Amino acid sequence: MSGSKPDILWSPHHPDRYVICDSELGLYRIGPVGSAETKPGTLPLSEETAATLLAINSDTPYMKCVAWYPKHEPECLLAVGQANGRVVLTSLGQSHNSTCKELVGKEFVPKHARQCNTLAWNPVDSNLLAAGLDKHRADFSVLIWDISSKFTPETSVAAEKIRLSSVDLDSSTVVTKPLYELGQNDACLSLCWLLRDPKLLLAGMHRNLAIFDLRNTSQKTFVNTKAIQGVTVDPHFHDRVASFFEGQVAIWDLRKFEKPVLTLTEQPKPLTKVAWCPTRTGLLATLTRDSNIIRLYDMQHTPTPIGDETEPTIIERSVQPCESQIGSFAWHPSSQNRMVVVSAANRVMTDFTVFERISLAWSSTTSLMWACGRHLYDCVEDSAEGIESMIEKDIATKMRQRAQSRYGHDTVQVWRNHLLAGGNDVQLKSLWFDLYYMKQCAEDMELKLQGNKQSVVYSGIKNIVKTSSGTTESRRCWAGSDRPTDVPRYHSEERCLALRLCGWISRGPDIDVETFLRSLEQEQEWERAAAVSLFNLDIRRAIQILNKGATAEKGDLNLNVVAMALSGYTDEKSSLWREMCSSLRLQLKNPYLCIMFAFLTSEPGAYDGVLYESSVAVRDRVAFACMFLSDAQLPRYIDKLTNEMKEAGNLEGILLTGLTKDGVDLMESYVDRTGDVQTASFCMLKGSPGDVLKDPRVQCWIENYRNLLDAWRFWHKRAEFDIHRGKLDPSSKPLAQVFVSCNFCGKSISYSCSAMPHQGRGFSQYGVSGSPTKSKVTSCPGCRKPLPRCALCLMNMGTPVSNCPGTGKSDEKVGLTRENKLAQFNNWFTWCHNCRHGGHAGHMLSWFRDHTECPVSACTCKCMQLDTTGNLVPSDSS
Amino acid sequence: MELHILEHSLKVASIEKEGIQICTHGLIKLAFLASKTRCKFFSLTETPEDYTIIVDEEGFKELPQSEHISVADATWLALNVVSGGGNASSSQPIGVTKIAKSVIAPLADHNISVFMLSTYQTDFILVRERDLPMVMHTLSSEFTLLRVVNGETVAAHNLGVTNGFVKPKLVPRPIIHPLSSPSNMFCVTSLDPDTLPSVATLLMDVMFYSGGQKEPGASSEDSSHIRFFSFSLIEGYISLVMDEQTTQRFPNNVLFTSASGELWKMVRIGGQPLGFDECGIVAQISEPLATADIPAYYISTFKFDHALVPEENIQSVIGALRTESTAQ
Repeated sequence: MSGSKPDILWSPHHPDRYVICDSELGLYRIGPVGSAETKPGTLPLSEETAATLLAINSDTPYMKCVAWYPKHEPECLLAVGQANGRVVLTSLGQSHNSTCKELVGKEFVPKHARQCNTLAWNPVDSNLLAAGLDKHRADFSVLIWDISSKFTPETSVAAEKIRLSSVDLDSSTVVTKPLYELGQNDACLSLCWLLRDPKLLLAGMHRNLAIFDLRNTSQKTFVNTKAIQGVTVDPHFHDRVASFFEGQVAIWDLRKFEKPVLTLTEQPKPLTKVAWCPTRTGLLATLTRDSNIIRLYDMQHTPTPIGDETEPTIIERSVQPCESQIGSFAWHPSSQNRMVVVSAANRVMTDFTVFERISLAWSSTTSLMWACGRHLYDCVEDSAEGIESMIEKDIATKMRQRAQSRYGHDTVQVWRNHLLAGGNDVQLKSLWFDLYYMKQCAEDMELKLQGNKQSVVYSGIKNIVKTSSGTTESRRCWAGSDRPTDVPRYHSEERCLALRLCGWISRGPDIDVETFLRSLEQEQEWERAAAVSLFNLDIRRAIQILNKGATAEKGDLNLNVVAMALSGYTDEKSSLWREMCSSLRLQLKNPYLCIMFAFLTSEPGAYDGVLYESSVAVRDRVAFACMFLSDAQLPRYIDKLTNEMKEAGNLEGILLTGLTKDGVDLMESYVDRTGDVQTASFCMLKGSPGDVLKDPRVQCWIENYRNLLDAWRFWHKRAEFDIHRGKLDPSSKPLAQVFVSCNFCGKSISYSCSAMPHQGRGFSQYGVSGSPTKSKVTSCPGCRKPLPRCALCLMNMGTPVSNCPGTGKSDEKVGLTRENKLAQFNNWFTWCHNCRHGGHAGHMLSWFRDHTECPVSACTCKCMQLDTTGNLVPSDSS
Repeated sequence: MELHILEHSLKVASIEKEGIQICTHGLIKLAFLASKTRCKFFSLTETPEDYTIIVDEEGFKELPQSEHISVADATWLALNVVSGGGNASSSQPIGVTKIAKSVIAPLADHNISVFMLSTYQTDFILVRERDLPMVMHTLSSEFTLLRVVNGETVAAHNLGVTNGFVKPKLVPRPIIHPLSSPSNMFCVTSLDPDTLPSVATLLMDVMFYSGGQKEPGASSEDSSHIRFFSFSLIEGYISLVMDEQTTQRFPNNVLFTSASGELWKMVRIGGQPLGFDECGIVAQISEPLATADIPAYYISTFKFDHALVPEENIQSVIGALRTESTAQ
C-alpha cells in the first residue's frame, strides 16, 4: 500500500479496540493511561488514554480498503480489498477458533483484475460483502460476494481455473463467482448499504450515484452527479446520505433523490474522509488532504411554525485534535463525540473528544437554561418562601409581580403605587411619595396661580431653591418657652414649596407640621416624629412623642431614657450635658435620635452631623436644610447631595432632581444598577411631556418595558400600559395603520363614520334596522353596499363603531355609551394577509383551534401558521 | 449504446529505434510523472520497427523536434463506445469484436480510416478530426452521440452534414494484407497507479533497453518471436501489453492478472507499412472474428496493425482469416 494514507476502523463490538491499516494491519487496545503498569509498548493517545499494540497482520499486500465484519462472531474478521481487485478475508489477534478458521484466508477474485476501491458488509445479512471495483471494459464494477459460498469449479471455465490454481496454493479458498454482479460498464468508487432496507445498496459510480436493489438487479435508481466519493448513510436518519467530490460535500435525501438537499461550503483541498457521528444526530466530520483540522458540520432541523420544509441550520466549526497533519480519523462507535485520529506520517495516534457546543438561553421569566451534549440544565429562581426573605428576588420576577398587581397605574393616590410594588422598598416608597407630593403641589398651584408653576414643581428642589429670593431670617423661641434660640431659621416662598414637596407641611399658608407629626405617630415612626418636632423647635412635643413611643405596644422603653436626656437640654455652651451628648450620641443606633442630639449640640449654621447622616431619609435632611441653611449654604448642599444621589442611582434623589434631565441621569444610574425599567417608565411618564419624554433613554426604557410585557405574553398589561402612556403622552399614540376599505366604493368604512357620525349608533350588532333610511352596520356607510361575509357564518360583517382618527374628542363626550358602542372582539373583522379570506374574529379563532387550513373551500392557505404568535395565549388575565 | 467523443486532440508519431535516446526524457515524464504534465492521453507501443507514440497536444510538447520522429499529419480524436449495462449476460465478447459490426464496419463502408488502440480498460477508435462530421453522420443512427467538453459529457450536435455522401457500397471485404502470427504469447494487463513508482525502473528497462537484451535471444529462439510491448496511461488508467516472458520479471501481485488469466496470440497485419489512408483494414480482420464470436484486442501502430486473440482460438482465427483472404 505504498504511498497510501492510513485509515482507522473501530471494532464494531469492542469499544476499546481499533485497527490501523497502512501498509499492514495493526490491532490496538485503548485503555486508561495509568491502569496497567506502563508497558514499553504502550503509546499515549491523550492525557488519560493510551493504546497497546495487540497484533500485526502483514499478510495482505497492496491493501486498498478494509472493512470490519459487523457481527459479534467471528469477532475480528476483516475484509481487505487489494489493488488487483481481490478481496481477502483476514483476521487479527485471534486464536484459531473454528468459526474464523474457515473464513480466514478466503479470497474473492473478480474476473478481470482492477483496483478494489471500496468494501461494505451488509449490516443485516452479514454473509454479503459488496466490493466496488474500477472500470474494466464491459465488466461489472460492483460485486457482491457470499463469504459462506464454497469453491465450485465450473466446467465451462475449467480451462482457466487450472492455470489459476497453479498460482494459488489452496484453490479451495478462492471464490470466483459473485452472488450478484452490478454496475456493468462503469466504475464504482464508494459503497454503502442502506439502513432503511438491507437489500438496497448505494453506490458512487463513475458519474452517478446509483441505488441497486438486490431483489431486482436489472433496475437501478440513479442520479447524475460528480459527488460520488465516500457515500455514507446518517446512522440517525436513514434517508440522509453524504457524499463528496473534491472539496465539496453533498447531502442527499433518498426520498428526494434528484438533487442534493444541500451542499456544504467548498474546501480548497480535496476531501479524504467524511463520516457521520454515530453518537450524535446530524454531526458530520470531514477531513481534507494535508490538513491538521477536522471540520464539523452540525445539521439540525429546527421546527418552525412557518411552512413544513425548512432548510436545516448548519453550524460549521473546526477542531484540531493534534499538531501534525491528519491521515485519517474514526468516530468511536459508542463513546459520545469521541474519535481517534492518526497522523499522515509515522502513525501517531490521538484520542480526542469533540467538545459539544454550549447553548444558553435566558427566558423572559428569570429561568436560565443551557444545553451541552445530551445534558440540559434548567436554572430556576428559588421561590421557596423561607428563602424569599433572605435573598432578594430577581428584578424580572419583581417586575412581573408588580405588573400583575397593576403597579404604576394608580394615578390618583400616586403614593399607593409603592404598596402595589410590594411596599417594602424604601426607595420606591420615597419615589412615589415624591411624585404624589409633586402632583399635589402642581394641582394646588394650578388652581392658585394658573401659571406655569407646574413645571417648577416637577423641576425638583434643586432648581426650586436656586431661584429662591427674598429669604427672611427669623429666630424663634422654643415652643412653650420664652427662651429665644440662637438658631436662625430661614423662610421664603420657594423654601416653603420645598418643604411641601418634602411632605413636612401640607397646603395652606400656615407652616404647621402637626398633621405630618400625627401621620408619623400613626405609623409608629416615633424617632422620626420626635426629630421633626425638635427641628420645629418644639422640645416638649418631641418628648411627648418619645414617651408615647415608649408606652406604645412593642414600644422601646429606651425612648423614655432619650426623652429624659432631651429634657435636660441646655444652651450653655460648656455644660456637661452638651459635652456628654455630643460624644455619646454616636452610640445611639437610631439615626433620628442621633441627629436630634447633633442638632442640639452643634453650632448654628454648622449642621454636618445632621446633613450628612446618610441613614436619615433624604426628604428629612433636605427639609432640615431648607429650614436652617442660609442662601449661600443651601444650594451648595443640595448640589452635593444631588450628585451623590445621581451617582448612586438612589431614587430618593428624584425629590431633588425632579423629572428633569438630571432626573433622567439619576434614573439612568438606577436602571443601570437594578434593571428596573418598569419603575423608570412609569416615573418618567409622570413628567412633563416635553423634553424628558423625548430623551432617547426614556424612550428606550419604555420600549423595553413594552417588549418585556410582550415577552411575558402580558398583552393586556401591555395594552393597559399603552393606554396609560397615551393619556400622559399623547404624542405616543400610534396613528391608525390599517383601514378597511369597501369593495365597491373603495372608501374606508371607518372613515366614513366621521362624515356621518350618527349612523349606526344604537344599532344592534347585526344591524337590524327599523328604518330603511338608516344604513346598517353591515353595509358600507359610504355606498351602502353590503360588507363582505364572514367565511364561516356567512353573515355580512360589520361592527357598530370603529374608532377613527379625529373623533377622539367626541368619543370622550359620549363616554357613557362607549361600553355599548365598542363591539365585542368576537365580532371584529379579521382576515389573512396571505389569502385574504376572513371573517369574524371569534369564528376564525374557533375554526383554527381544530383546523390548519383556511375555512374557505379549495383554499389551502395555512393562515394561522403564518401568524407566529397566533397560537400563543396571553398569560395575564384581561 | 452511447458513443463518447473524447476531448483529447491526439497526435500519432513514430520514433525510430536509433533516435529513442533523445526522447526518453520526455517519454519517462509522460509515463511515470503524470502529475508533472498536463497530458491525459499517452500511449507508447514498441514494435520491432519503431516506437509508436499516441499523445494529446499537451503531452506532445514534451517531445523534442528531431529527424528521428515522424508525425502523422492529421489530428486524431478518440471515440469510445459505452454500452448501457442493460444486458446482464457476463459472457460478452470483449475488445474490437463487440464493436466490429456497429462501429468499425460502418466507418469502413464510408471510407473513413480508423486507428485502433485497445487497452486493458477499453477500446479507443481514433478518427481524423476532419472526418468527424462524417463519423457522426454515419454512427448517429446506431448510437447516442455524446461529446466530452471540459470533463462534462454533453450531447453532441450533428454538424449539419446530411447529404452529399456517396451511398456506401456494401461489398464483401477481402483481406488484402499478408498476415503473420508470432510464436510468443501476450498478456493484456494493468497495475495500480499507486504501485507504478515501485516498478518504474523495471518498466523503463523493458521499454528502452530491451533491444540489446533481445539480440541474443532472437538468434537462439525461433525467428517468429516478436518484440512487442505497449504501455498506455490514459485518464489515470494504466494498460500494459507484453509477452509472457516479460510478465515473469514483475513482482507477484503487482500486475492485474485476471481470474481466468488468459493469454493472447498475436496476428500481425501488413507486409509493408500500411499508411494512414487505407480504409477497412480493421474491418477486414474484426468482422470475421465477430462472426465467429472470438474476442480480440486490436492495436494499430505507425506501420502495422496487431490483433490479439485468445491463444486457444488462434488456429480457428488463422483458419477464418485465411478463408477470407482466399475468397478473394
